[in-house]
This record gives sequence, structure tokens and C-alpha cells, in this order.
Amino acid sequence: MRPTLRDARRIGRVILSGAGEALVVALALSSFVFAAFRWLPGDPARLVLGDEASAAAVSRLRDRLHLDEPIALQYGRFLRGLVTLDLGDSFRRPGTGAMTEVLSALRPTIELSVLAVVLGASLGVGAALAASGPWIGSTQRNWVDRTFVLAASVPLIALAPVLTWALAARTRLVPLPGDPQAGVEGLLFASALLSIPLGAHVGRVARAALSELGEAAFLAVARAKGAPPARVLLLHALPCVAGPIVTVVASQLGALLGGAVVLERLFERWGLGTLILQAYAARDLPVLEGAVVAAGLLFIAAQVLGTALHAAVDPRVRGGVG
Amino acid sequence: MSRRWLKLLPLAALALASAASTLFDGEPPGRLHPQLSWCPPSWARPFGCGEAGVDLLALVSAAERSALLLAVVVGLVGFTAGTALGAAAALFRGRVERLVERACDLVQSFPTFIMALAVLSAVHTPSRIYIGFVFAVTAWAPFARLSLAQTRSLRTALFVEAASALGRSPTGVFLRHIVPNLLGVAAVQLGSTAAAVVVGEASLAFVGLGPPNGVSLGAVLDQGVSAMLRAPHVLLVGALSVFATSGVLLIAGRVFHLAPTSR
Repeated sequence: MRPTLRDARRIGRVILSGAGEALVVALALSSFVFAAFRWLPGDPARLVLGDEASAAAVSRLRDRLHLDEPIALQYGRFLRGLVTLDLGDSFRRPGTGAMTEVLSALRPTIELSVLAVVLGASLGVGAALAASGPWIGSTQRNWVDRTFVLAASVPLIALAPVLTWALAARTRLVPLPGDPQAGVEGLLFASALLSIPLGAHVGRVARAALSELGEAAFLAVARAKGAPPARVLLLHALPCVAGPIVTVVASQLGALLGGAVVLERLFERWGLGTLILQAYAARDLPVLEGAVVAAGLLFIAAQVLGTALHAAVDPRVRGGVG
Repeated sequence: MSRRWLKLLPLAALALASAASTLFDGEPPGRLHPQLSWCPPSWARPFGCGEAGVDLLALVSAAERSALLLAVVVGLVGFTAGTALGAAAALFRGRVERLVERACDLVQSFPTFIMALAVLSAVHTPSRIYIGFVFAVTAWAPFARLSLAQTRSLRTALFVEAASALGRSPTGVFLRHIVPNLLGVAAVQLGSTAAAVVVGEASLAFVGLGPPNGVSLGAVLDQGVSAMLRAPHVLLVGALSVFATSGVLLIAGRVFHLAPTSR
């Protein structure tokens, strides 16, 4: 059944309710960042200027950061800054808005993560489908399942540097992604690394869901009507397991974003992670706040997108009570 | 039954090995021997040396111990707090139950690593206390979810009904009949939480937000990356020890996974 206009409306409703929840999460996350910089021990102004700064300089900076105002007023100012995309100037580069820096760093990180999600999801789903068909024996099928479990439990932080050493530094099979001349190949290599744990999780969950679906009556009907195995798997079984797949991708997004920060540090590639670390090293508070909130928002947006995708693929969700 | 406990063996071996090497070596993990910078593994220094001639075996053992300690502490704190909260929510029902459920959703949809970056960059020195705190803030949620679901099915179970019908007080029913059936289910999450803490701590140290004394598995990896071509053994030692640590914790956590028949 093809999605109709009514389905489109339902999908829209799912997105709207998802966006409402996302707004709550976004507010909670940015409040958390705000609170972290105000309430944790240590004066942010001292953090920026260092311990040897004169009292006058500290009080000037406290004034500039509005740290002496009541906390509610500071919070309001912070939220207004987020909404109007104006968190003040960067300390490190006076004259450049903190948000300008954040936006320029957003693109490489989004490229890396989106490509990793696409690669990981298609690899995982593809391998799971191939292993669920009648093409391979049960011994090989068990081996595929074991490989998924093993690959899902190898931490990216251990795997990525070793693979980089073996493939990029030692044998030069692939270019180093931090190299400005690496271009698309470098990006592909970096996102392939990032997609390994995701792909393994997706594959594990997809395999479990497909084998649970197993001999469902509607699959038997499709097969009895003469549909080839590939068609049964792709058109009849896959939409039914889209839910668990989208859920596992969404649950891995936090790890993916963390992995992106690690990879950006590993390859010295420009992006949100690099910006957060540079801003941390330079004690550039406005940029730091903006970048952390932007990373959180990116993550939340991806989750809303996942929910919408789930609704678009699985008729049970869009036809349901939601 | 006895074979189940074998799964704790790798964890015990790793913990013992890291404790033993610090006992017998006697050298503090941060001691530098500049003339031995990046020296390859040898009999005297089985893991070789890192930057400025730091003995990698001593460094890795010390980092291992603190990583395991952090993982176990965060895991137990999350387990205790989460299980208690989930059980309480399911027993109170109604609004409390929904509230805890929503809180779990909220916390589980938080990107922990980004949060950790925010907290650690806001404090003066990113010490282990803060790192542990950040992980504990999100670690309780999966436990609470498991315990909530389990208590929800237990509160209507026939044996629970029978116990209250036979005159046991609500507290007695809870302690004797619900708690014992709850702990095993929630404990399933312990291994993966502990492993995630180890990997998270290593990742934070790798990007430069580690403990100030540099004793962390992530710091070893960082050294390894910067000397990737000159001294690949540093990278391999760091990567293998992160892999081994998270691996033994995952295996140890499988102790709580029961075969469907024995449940």
C-alpha cells in the first residue's frame, strides 16, 4: 500500500509530537549546559582568565558575561541568545560571532555522521537480509550472528586508531581523512570507521527481528503465491522489522556523535568536536556553550527524523493511535 | 551453575594482573626515563615505553585499575539507584510511574558523551570524581526501566497475591517476594554499563579531558596516535587494553544472563 495524502498527514502528526518532545529534551540539555557552567565549583571568569588574573580583569569579564546578574535573568539571556542564534562574540576571535563558528563547524560533522548512518544502516541491514535468506546454511548464519556480536562489542576508540595505522599510515591504502587533499575518499574512510559499531548493532537487531518473524503466516502466503525469497524479504519482511532497526539506530546516535568527536580528534579534522575541544583549550565560553548545545540539537533532530522515518515505513505506526 | 561463574574469571585475572604488576614493579606509573623514549617492548619492559620513556606496563596497570574501579562504582551506583527508583515507581503506580518512565526516556535520549564534555570543560580540573558523576547521572536509567517493567509484571503475579492473601505485610511482600525476583533482571545491564564507562572514560581522556595526572587508557592511546609511525607498539598496547577491559566487563556481566529454562 502506497502512502497516501492521509498517511502523509499522519506522518506529519508523528513528526509534530516528536518535535514537541524534542523541544523538551533540547530545553533540558541546554539548561544542563547553562547550569554546568554556573553552578559547578569554580568561577567561569577565573576559568577563562586563569588563576593569576587580576581582580579587576576578572570583574570586567564577569560583567561582560553578565555573571553578577540574578540567575533567572542570565538564564533568560542565554535562552534568547540560543533562539536568536546570537551568543555573543567568540573570545578567541573577537569580532566573530560564537554562532558563526558553530555553524561553520556543523557541516563537516553532519557530513561525517550522516554518511556513517547511511553506510552503517545499509551494511547492517544488507548483511542481515543476506543471512536471513535461503542462500546460506545454518552454520554460516551462526557465524554471521557471532560476527555482529563481536563487532558490536569492539569499542571504536580501540578499533579506529589501529585500523588507521594499518590502512592509512602503514600501507597507505587510504588517505588520512585529516589531510585537506584527502577529499571524498578520506571522508568515506572516516565514516566507514564510524559506521562499524552502528552497522554491527543494526545487523544484530535486524537478524534477531527477522528470525523472530521467521515463519509468519503472511510470509508463507507471499511465498506460496510464488514470490522469490528476495522479494519476500525486501517487500514483506523488511517493513515489519523497520521499527527495531530505527530504534537501534536512534539509540546508537549518542555513541555515534561521541565517536565523531573522537574521530575528529584522531584525524585532526575540522568539525563540531574539534571546535568544542579548541574552545575548551582556549576557554572560549560562548563558543563552548554554543557548540555543546548545537551537538545536542543535532542529536535530537536526528532522533525526530528517525521517528518520522519509522512512521513512513511502518503502516502500523502511522495508522495507530498517534 | 558453577560454569556460570567462570565468566567472572577474565575480569578477576585482569584485575589481579594489574594489581600484581604495580606491586612487583614498585615503580610509580609516571616515572620518566627520557633516554628510553618510545623504546620497543623488551624483557625488562614487556610493553615497551611511551612518550618520554614512561613504562607502559606500569602506566597501563595503573590506568586499568582506576578504570575498573570507576566502572564498578558507577555500575553499582546506577544499579542501586535505578533499581530502587524503578521498583518504587511501579509500586506507587499512577503519576509517579509515568513520571519515572518519562524521566528514563529523557535521560536515555541524552548524548552522554556531549554532556560529559560540557561538564568536564566547565570545571577547573577534570578529575575522576566529575567523570564518575557524569556517567552516574545517566547510568541509572536503563536499570530503572528494567526494574520498572519487572516490578509491573510482579505486582500482579499470583504468588505475590497469594503472599498478601496469607497475611504478609506490604513491606514483607516487597522484600521477600519482589526484590529477589527483581535484582537478577536489573543486573543484566551491569556489564554493558560498566563497559560503556570504561570506553567513555578512555574516549574523554583521548580527546584531552582525562584526569590531570595522565593515568588513563585514553592517554596511552593518545600517545600511541601521536607516535603512530615511530612506535606502533604504544598504539597497539593502548587499543588492546581498552578492548580487553571492556571485553572482560561484558563477559562478566553475562553472569546475570540466565538461560530461559532456569529463570
